[in-house]
Amino acid sequence: MIPRPVSRDPAPQPSVPSVLLLATLITGVLALAGRQMGAQDYAAHPGGAPRDGATVYAAHCAECHGASGKGDGPASFLLSPHPRDFSIGSYKIRTTETGSVPTDEDLLRSIRRGLHGTAMPGWESLLPDTEIRNVVEHVKSYSPSFAGTRPQIVTVGADVVSSPASVARGFAVYERLQCGACHGADGRGSGAVATEFEDDWGQPMRAADLTEPWTFRGGATARDVFMRFRTGMSGTPMPSFKDSATDAEMWDLANYVLSLARKPVWAMNADEVAAHYAREEAEANAHPIERGRHLVDSMGCALCHSPLDDSRRVLPGMKLAGGMRIRVEPFGDYVTGNLTSDVETGLGGWTDEEIVRVMTQGILRDGTRLLPYPMDWPSFSTLASDDLRAIIAYLRTVPPVSNRIPPPRRPLLPIYLWGKFRMLILGADLPMTFHAGNAGTPVAHADAAAPQGGR
Amino acid sequence: MRRVLKWAGAILLVLALIAFCAFLYLIPPFFVAPPETFSAPMAGAPPPVDGIPDPAERAIAARGRYIVMTSGCMGCHFMNGAQGPDLAKYLAGGGLRIESAHGTIVSRNLTSDPETGLARRTDDEVKRVLRSGVFPDAHMVSYTSMPWANFSHWSEEDRHAVVVYLRHLPPVRHAIPDPDHSAAMVEPGVLERAYAGKNYGTDDR
Repeated sequence: MIPRPVSRDPAPQPSVPSVLLLATLITGVLALAGRQMGAQDYAAHPGGAPRDGATVYAAHCAECHGASGKGDGPASFLLSPHPRDFSIGSYKIRTTETGSVPTDEDLLRSIRRGLHGTAMPGWESLLPDTEIRNVVEHVKSYSPSFAGTRPQIVTVGADVVSSPASVARGFAVYERLQCGACHGADGRGSGAVATEFEDDWGQPMRAADLTEPWTFRGGATARDVFMRFRTGMSGTPMPSFKDSATDAEMWDLANYVLSLARKPVWAMNADEVAAHYAREEAEANAHPIERGRHLVDSMGCALCHSPLDDSRRVLPGMKLAGGMRIRVEPFGDYVTGNLTSDVETGLGGWTDEEIVRVMTQGILRDGTRLLPYPMDWPSFSTLASDDLRAIIAYLRTVPPVSNRIPPPRRPLLPIYLWGKFRMLILGADLPMTFHAGNAGTPVAHADAAAPQGGR
Repeated sequence: MRRVLKWAGAILLVLALIAFCAFLYLIPPFFVAPPETFSAPMAGAPPPVDGIPDPAERAIAARGRYIVMTSGCMGCHFMNGAQGPDLAKYLAGGGLRIESAHGTIVSRNLTSDPETGLARRTDDEVKRVLRSGVFPDAHMVSYTSMPWANFSHWSEEDRHAVVVYLRHLPPVRHAIPDPDHSAAMVEPGVLERAYAGKNYGTDDR
């Protein structure tokens, strides 16, 4: 029942407790509505009330960063760089001293603009600013680091405008601080001691290519680049140079780094584009394993060739180990192959020719023919032979995981014919069903499972 | 005489039944026709880039064409014609409907049609879907339905090349129903269910 105001008398002023009661009721109703929308609700609500941080997070962040903020969302196993783990409270892109938490403004900026060269998009044009602010508070709540500490903001003087003299001084700083040990003498890894590292979360990462400023995570103004030297990038091997260089030197270094920028392909003329692609091809041919890894990562092999749980998360340690069961009606059950280098159950025992054959003709080792879907071998048949070789070279380096994959299973003949009848004659639209769980079986080795005692 | 006819009729009936079963068994000829029947058309299906006047753009589009062709975009974004996927209407979409916990989506029309295709979207909007799986209305698509988490491995320059190529696809008018995020399929043990038996788009010309 909704109480109606008495029209004749002036409406009685609500007492303080009833205002509180009303507020509580409204809050409760809103909270319930929010819960009902839940994780399924992925839309911003134009014109509606801004959603709270947890709701926005569930709808737009959890896919990568995970429901618990540990950077372990369903999509995370495919992403490079790996999504940020919020539970530690350590951030790369900051304007604060080493060891300090970032400012709200730092987090807002990363969310609004996105992080270039990663899957993190800019949300500025997608979500109302209130919701972005709400989600910042929510993200901070995942780590105890933010409680009771204030960010120590670094003080930065005026910009040092780039000039040939500043760039020349910056080059000397680059040499002195040995930036080339990770970034190479040319800024793109040439002659580097190492370019691949593991960050504090145990995730693989690469030294930045300094010739591609459009991939700089925290932006590519001299001030942005200066800030990375000044604060360091927490959780990575990139330290703060606060104690080894002066502010003026770091400004020169920033100007030098930005002077390394090459032209992006969208700004090149025809000759430059041709030279650029020729160089990329030469690099791919010189490093086939790298090229193969890029192709396997970007073509989506692991999407089907990894078993997922009910919430679409990969089973631990099973990336590329196959085992996802796909029922293709009316043709039967197909379980995705184990692409790891395991000799017994993976590709380890396959010859290069056999792998090429299944990738381009859909024929398994024993001669079994695959359907032209969901394994898209008709499309993969258009891969250049160099790329096919690179993919195989990379797959041979994937650590072995034992997971024996059952052969395709066709239904009994009458059931198969009935399914075909429904499909071809009755025009039924029969589905392809992707199942959760692992339909493969790890092989117990004699040494791992030695019989206990005798008979 | 009648007896003979009866027997002949019965034999014919049995033969017809066997022929019908054989037809059901073998059609479509996935396991009968040589693999080239399915793979050979794939190399010729993507529209060529020869007609692009600017040589730099042509070279970039050629790169995009290779990535689009080898990444299996046509695995979902095909258009079903009367005889199965219509390769001539390259990437006109509507060939696949996916039901998942994220709702129901139909593969989009990626051609340059101004009203039903990608011409409605800016380069940044297209790149954001390819890189982050986020639509212009802020909705996210599951990484299992549209492999954006994989495509995020493309360099920004390769992503640019893909978009340049898609911009040059001949327009096909083919309206695709919008995603229905409310129709969540929740079934324990099932990730997704995909249907490809008909054309889920409308108004194709």
